[in-house]
Amino acid sequence: MSATPRHGALHALMTDFESPSQFMHACEKVRDAGFRHWDAHSPFPVHGLDDAMGIRGTRLPWIVLVGGITGFSAALLMQWWMNAVDYPYVISGKPLLGLPANFPVMFELTVLFSAFACFFGMWGLNGMPRLHHPLLANDRFRRASQDRFYVVIEARDPKFDSEKTRAFLASLGGAAVEEVREIVEG
Amino acid sequence: MAHTHVPTLQDTRTTLDGLGPRVFGASLAIGIVGMLAAFGLGSAQGDNLKQFAFAYVLNFAFFLGISLGALIFIGIMYVTRASWNVVIRRLAEVMAAVTPLLALLAIPVIMLAGRVYGWMDPEVARSHAMAHKAGYLNQGAFTLRWVIYFVVWTGYAMFYWRSSVAQDKTGDLKITRRFENLSGFALMASGICLALASFDLVMSIDPLWASTMFGVYYFSGSFVSFFAVLTLVTMGLQNTGRLTRIVSAEHFHDYGKLMFGFTFFWGYIAYSQYMLYWYANIPEETAWYLLRSTNGWGSVGLATLFCTFALPFCGLISRWAKRNRKVMAFWAVWIIVAQWLNLYWVIMPEYSEHAVFSPAAVALFVGIGGLWFAGVTRLAMGNSLVPTRDPRLEESLRFENA
Repeated sequence: MSATPRHGALHALMTDFESPSQFMHACEKVRDAGFRHWDAHSPFPVHGLDDAMGIRGTRLPWIVLVGGITGFSAALLMQWWMNAVDYPYVISGKPLLGLPANFPVMFELTVLFSAFACFFGMWGLNGMPRLHHPLLANDRFRRASQDRFYVVIEARDPKFDSEKTRAFLASLGGAAVEEVREIVEG
Repeated sequence: MAHTHVPTLQDTRTTLDGLGPRVFGASLAIGIVGMLAAFGLGSAQGDNLKQFAFAYVLNFAFFLGISLGALIFIGIMYVTRASWNVVIRRLAEVMAAVTPLLALLAIPVIMLAGRVYGWMDPEVARSHAMAHKAGYLNQGAFTLRWVIYFVVWTGYAMFYWRSSVAQDKTGDLKITRRFENLSGFALMASGICLALASFDLVMSIDPLWASTMFGVYYFSGSFVSFFAVLTLVTMGLQNTGRLTRIVSAEHFHDYGKLMFGFTFFWGYIAYSQYMLYWYANIPEETAWYLLRSTNGWGSVGLATLFCTFALPFCGLISRWAKRNRKVMAFWAVWIIVAQWLNLYWVIMPEYSEHAVFSPAAVALFVGIGGLWFAGVTRLAMGNSLVPTRDPRLEESLRFENA
């Protein structure tokens, strides 16, 4: 057996539930208690969970919009600079800045920049890339991909208090409350 | 789903009942008045009904497109085994199943062909450029093709509607299986007929011009109009207390996504068609756009670019807009007007090279639209507005956008 990982500071408190309905009730209570740094884990998508967790709409569309507008303008600027200013060159008798001919590139760059903004924006908002997470070292948490539903409140939450939060989680009616510790390297 | 209450068909009204005959009577009356007014306005032009004929083709093409949009929508839903749409599919079924009425309305198109289609002009027909087209573009072949189109469309549309109504009573799962197996063929056959019909109905007005993507151009516009009409009809029914709760913001969100997506698709197709001719710059090809960008038609064309594409694209892009009833209703009405204006820009320059406003075209919109809506209402009467025993109904009622 490999050496037991050394445990560091308290990362979070965790409890688990056997059924989606208990789980949803618990999420509503955590939401109403005003916690912000907490999460819910389920082996399959549970409809209505977003509402139960009080998740607000994502900012991602705005990031994508900025990406799209950047791509659109960059393409127009690039074609104008290259073909009409820096190296004026008549191609098949078209104007140096002929919008109908420029639109395909503007369209493509809009799509490309939007896709990049969407993909990497999603990474950024989710705190990725991240190689490891304390929860993944927890044996009990393995059933999150099988048949258990988890509510995890992180220690960095301003409302977190190790005793009170432990009692609060216990009152939700799940199985035992468990501490999740940070992993310390070496 | 332990928490959210799943609505059932018992939570709402799912039949037209007393509303049916009233709406049917009213739209029939409006339709007849519109037709008579259009005929009066057309005769008053003193041009041997030429403007009336163009306006008729315009509005016939518009409402035919909505029914064909419905037919193709049903086909796609079965091919993809989609479930979200089940709760509103009956509305599409009745919109598609009015094709026999549209077949009747096609008779004037054939009768008025001489006033509209360039190839009916003996001089044009004898010209060198027409030598190879005359075998296809002549009145006999034109009429025969319309018979074939309507046999195909009516066959599939009636098959969907009749079997689906039959399933309400029997709950027979085989019907759904049969739909799934046949919808691929239905899509191909009705799609090919739609493309050829758009060549015959609209493109051949100028027989010397051809665009291989004209079928997609007509389809994309029609498909957007269909979703706009479907949105308004669903909202109208909900305002009378029908289909409430079972058709939720989730379903409207999907209407919005499809309207948004096909608005963009229309823009993409319209632009691609334009750009290729602009770039190649061959006189016989650019003639079509030249006519439509001079003498006032250019402003109409530019208006359709913004009204049909740019503005609804920006207006519908947000998730909030798609889930807001008022915003959706606004864009649905907007899109219907804009798509109609686009067809006006495609068809009417052949009537007059100077931009004209045709009151007969507006009257015919009311006339053909009224008759079309009366037909749809008549078909919706007596049956449930929802396919009550469709195997995917439950999924449709529980539908949520991820």
